[in-house]
Amino acid sequence: MHRWFERRGMRAGDVAVWIIGMIVALLWAAPFFWMVSTSFKFPADVMTETIEWIPRRFTFDNYIKIFDFPIVRWTINSLVQAIVSTSICVICGAMAGFALAQLRFPGRATIFLIFLASIMIPVEVSVIPMLLAFIKIGWASTYQALILPTIANVFSVYIFRQFFLNFPKELVEAARMDGAGAFRLFFLVALPLARAPMIAAAVIVFTLNWNNFLWPLLVVFDESMKTMPVGIARFAPVVGTHTQLEGYSVAMAGVTVLSIPSLLLFFFLQRYFIQGISHGSIKQ
Amino acid sequence: MNLGGGTSALKGAAAPLNPREPIDWIGYLFVAFFAAPFLIFNVGPVFFGAYVAFTEWSIIGSPRWVGIQNFDDAVSDEWVWVAFRNIFFYAIIIVPGVTVLGLFFALFVNRSYPLAGLARTLFFAPNVVSATVIGLVWVWMLDTQFGLVNNLISTVGIPKIPWLTSTDWALVGVSIASIWWDFGLAFVLILAALQDIPRDLTEAATVDGAGPLNRLRFVILPHLRPVLSMVITLQLISTLRIFSQVYVMTNGGPAGSSSSPIHYIYTVAIVRNLYGYASALAISLFVVILCVTIVQRFVIRETL
Repeated sequence: MHRWFERRGMRAGDVAVWIIGMIVALLWAAPFFWMVSTSFKFPADVMTETIEWIPRRFTFDNYIKIFDFPIVRWTINSLVQAIVSTSICVICGAMAGFALAQLRFPGRATIFLIFLASIMIPVEVSVIPMLLAFIKIGWASTYQALILPTIANVFSVYIFRQFFLNFPKELVEAARMDGAGAFRLFFLVALPLARAPMIAAAVIVFTLNWNNFLWPLLVVFDESMKTMPVGIARFAPVVGTHTQLEGYSVAMAGVTVLSIPSLLLFFFLQRYFIQGISHGSIKQ
Repeated sequence: MNLGGGTSALKGAAAPLNPREPIDWIGYLFVAFFAAPFLIFNVGPVFFGAYVAFTEWSIIGSPRWVGIQNFDDAVSDEWVWVAFRNIFFYAIIIVPGVTVLGLFFALFVNRSYPLAGLARTLFFAPNVVSATVIGLVWVWMLDTQFGLVNNLISTVGIPKIPWLTSTDWALVGVSIASIWWDFGLAFVLILAALQDIPRDLTEAATVDGAGPLNRLRFVILPHLRPVLSMVITLQLISTLRIFSQVYVMTNGGPAGSSSSPIHYIYTVAIVRNLYGYASALAISLFVVILCVTIVQRFVIRETL
């Protein structure tokens, strides 16, 4: 053991810091562990004075009980919203990012500045008037209401523009020499080489959409058009009622299901998440 | 996930136009696919909202111009002041909490000890789940009778705290959950900045006999100035807009003690059907956010 630390250049102080740090990291994940653990407990075993990390008796009942709610429909709504919105956002963002970096036309710097400046406007400012407009034209509780306002995510343009700024000039020139128009240049030369920003933009924008809360909460009045986060939010046990007694186990089953897609995406594509986020906001 | 997506970056401007090269007019078409939804759904509602703010408008019926009446009402509305006072306290707890924890944990992970990658994953994971997950998990964690937090602190003799059910603690309870949720972004940004510090620099300081504290103070912190400033700005803006976790965890209660401006705007629009008033409040919040951001940038430039 001693050797093992020495080979890694760790002295006694390092070992202490390492052990404390790893304990904190595990504690940091404890709420997730507690969530999953609770979701497999019988309601009677949930409210206990002693901490029971691993359930004494396992049950899948809570995962069956969540189907008392239209959870399948909510999942479909969430998937339709997130997939359609993310696809359009990534494609349009890639085209705009490519044009702003590689095509020559007057005003492109100004256009990019306007995109960037819009980040300063919190969505919450526009959400109420937008809701009023959607209600007035009769689009409340529809897919177009869920999808359209989430398409223009500037993050997507930004990440593609950054990528295409460093795109090899020779490739572009060669394609132009061959007489390729802008569309062929983009779809046949540029896009196939833009895998990294594409995955980064896709996973980050998808996660944002999947987790989006305020807009779907506002614009959907119809139980069957709710998205997962908004629907499952209602699983919160109400203080002083019957639901408080058995509520937590069912609620934890609900949020476990809800967190699986984004956590899986994150665990497997972590590199893209972290690089995308730090490139997206840090490089001055 | 609340990435904020904020950026002040304009790195690597595209090469200037060469007058002898032909103009790619088709570039406008490329941009238009994105610009169209952008103008309609991101920019348009702001202007529409500026108009709605001066009207009395509900779901049924047509708008009635009322001038600055809505803003007048806002100033004398007690709940507006409660909400703004609350985000002041939210900001005081969450912004330093996220920044300091982010700095410490980033310094730890940056040491590349064994399993540092696992620690990084665990620290960032809460950032990718939705407010519903954060909210419900923490309502359970902070349950007064049987919650994990009270269970743990009572083993060291601290009496049980009514985290989400008392007017004194509800705001703190929601803040704890928010720190857990928001922390990942600050952590990742600071970690990326740490990894950009040239190794030679810290090694030279060590050779010169600087201890860990002096290295931190004289070598590392000066390098982190820009990123810390950005983390504080992003976190401050996102805290001033706090809503989802409040809605899920306490719905602003008890007695408005954990409400926030967006939560109040939500109530005014959805429950009371006063869209004009809600828009006026939203615009006021936007102005407050702008002012706070400018003042805070200035303060940071002078002090940090």
